[in-house]
Amino acid sequence: MSGAGDAVPVLQVRDLQAHFRTHYFGVNREVRAVDGVTFEVNRNEIYGLAGESSSGKTTLVKTIAGLLKPPLEMVGGSARFSFLPGWDAIGRAPPEVVRAIRWRHLSYIMQGSMNVLNPLRRVRYSFRDFAWRHLGGSKVEFDARVVAHMERVKLDPSVLDAYPHELSGGMRQRVTIALATICKPDFIIADEPTTALDVVVQKDVLGMIRAIQCEMGSSILFITHDMGVHAALTDRLGIMYAGRLVEDGETPEIFSRPLHPYTRHLIASLPRIGDTEQREGLDGTPPNLAAPPPGCRFHPRCPLAMPVCTTIVPAMVETLPGHRVACHAVNPGMAT
Amino acid sequence: MSALIELDRVSKSFSRGGLFSTRRVEAVKEVSFALDADKPEIFTVIGESGSGKSTLARMILGIHAPSSGQVRLGGRDVATYERRAFMAEVQPIFQNPFEAFNPLKRLDRYLFMTAERFGGATGTSAVDGSVDEALRQVGLSLPEIKGRFPHELSGGQLQRVAIARALVAKPRLIVADEPVSMIDASLRMSIVNLFGRLRDELGLSIVYITHDLATAYYISDRLIIMQQGVVVEQGPARAVLSAPTHPYSRQLRDAVLTPDSAGAFRATHSRKAAETPGARS
Repeated sequence: MSGAGDAVPVLQVRDLQAHFRTHYFGVNREVRAVDGVTFEVNRNEIYGLAGESSSGKTTLVKTIAGLLKPPLEMVGGSARFSFLPGWDAIGRAPPEVVRAIRWRHLSYIMQGSMNVLNPLRRVRYSFRDFAWRHLGGSKVEFDARVVAHMERVKLDPSVLDAYPHELSGGMRQRVTIALATICKPDFIIADEPTTALDVVVQKDVLGMIRAIQCEMGSSILFITHDMGVHAALTDRLGIMYAGRLVEDGETPEIFSRPLHPYTRHLIASLPRIGDTEQREGLDGTPPNLAAPPPGCRFHPRCPLAMPVCTTIVPAMVETLPGHRVACHAVNPGMAT
Repeated sequence: MSALIELDRVSKSFSRGGLFSTRRVEAVKEVSFALDADKPEIFTVIGESGSGKSTLARMILGIHAPSSGQVRLGGRDVATYERRAFMAEVQPIFQNPFEAFNPLKRLDRYLFMTAERFGGATGTSAVDGSVDEALRQVGLSLPEIKGRFPHELSGGQLQRVAIARALVAKPRLIVADEPVSMIDASLRMSIVNLFGRLRDELGLSIVYITHDLATAYYISDRLIIMQQGVVVEQGPARAVLSAPTHPYSRQLRDAVLTPDSAGAFRATHSRKAAETPGARS
């Protein structure tokens, strides 16, 4: 599917559907937060996921990671990991299987570092809580390994004896990256890991994520709404709109030749230093996922909307080699 | 009187700690600038978190009193203003519109109350009229907003309502603290363009506080760059951002990741570069 044809996909997501289902006072409400998403993440690559708030990015990764709590339900499709053969989604595997792969094979870097680190315990104990049982060995061996790993993420080992509040936001985020990478997992999910950071710190942290990823050869699913970060970091990029993937392909290709009207708008509306050209926002508002528009969910805001867009959902079609788009205007005559 | 708002060597320090170890933290150190009353402009304050830009905004709004120095509105010390008279001249817009509005309160209540308290409108028809006028200036209207709760609107619409609420008071100055950082990418530019229209059509001056250099370049006339409470560089926005001279400004500008500058980051951080030892930075 992608340019890296020889690579084995670490993650294969097929037609994944995850809905929020609530029943209150006899009223059933269903929010289709992820609706038919298909993509693959190859070994040793950073796959970016872009989209605005409430486009379903976080729900998608939660479903992939098996972090399903009611009212979120995985309704259909599959999300297979190469290190979890025999199960078509983590959420469907029994708890002991999930415990065995968590952190060892699959880890998570979250947005708020303060929510990950225990504020009452020194950083050293957070490492013990998270990783000791996965790595095993004696306490001395484990501590030595943590210190070695801290040096890899350019943190002074003295940080281990600090409390989280004593560290700056950038340092804390480095600590959570160190936590997520100490077991050398095959797959890391990074959900807006640099959004809360300053631009200068962000650039450092992104550089570090890339360096660690290269060193370990793992794959990262990287989520952010910041197109500048995607342009700099990711190898391939998927664009989400209202719970569906509308375009994906190699990142430089998406930026140089965006095909979907939404992607085109996202890239064209970015202001740039040194360029005073007038840039417009998009009219209308993102759709309500409890009652999404029929057909293509972008059609009420789309400059290229045609009658067919209001009734038929456009299929995700490989328009150019390794570059898929779901749009009737780009792929005439294709429908699901 | 020529200056609309004037900051004269304004400093603010906070004391931290308890009985035994009190530390003074200087959030803002000797900042001076002035906005001309006859020339409306968008004046941008750039800085990272902890640089004192929000403290500066709070001092302009009269929420914090400066530890030393003076903030003057129309030549008069802000501290001597009666609060309502001051709020009729200077209005804030906050970062997160979902937090700025009480979720259990209808949006029109905020607009009506602002019109009565600061806009000087009396009587139902006058209040309705001034609220509708302000909403139309941001591309909404009173029938659309009347009786709606915050959760019924998108972030972009809600931020427009927040701007309309500020406009109802017919202020001369708006202080906007990170007004677009919580707004979705597809709606962000329409808010930024709206600030430009308010300046050009209504003659409003706006203090725009942000960490986003690209929108600052796009919309603002003049800017200051702050680092740890100190202004390190100031001047016309486009001149400063095109050729920053202070090392910190340069560092900030180089850290901005855009699709155009991404090539440089990729070159130093690509898979190949990292595979060769020593290439990591």
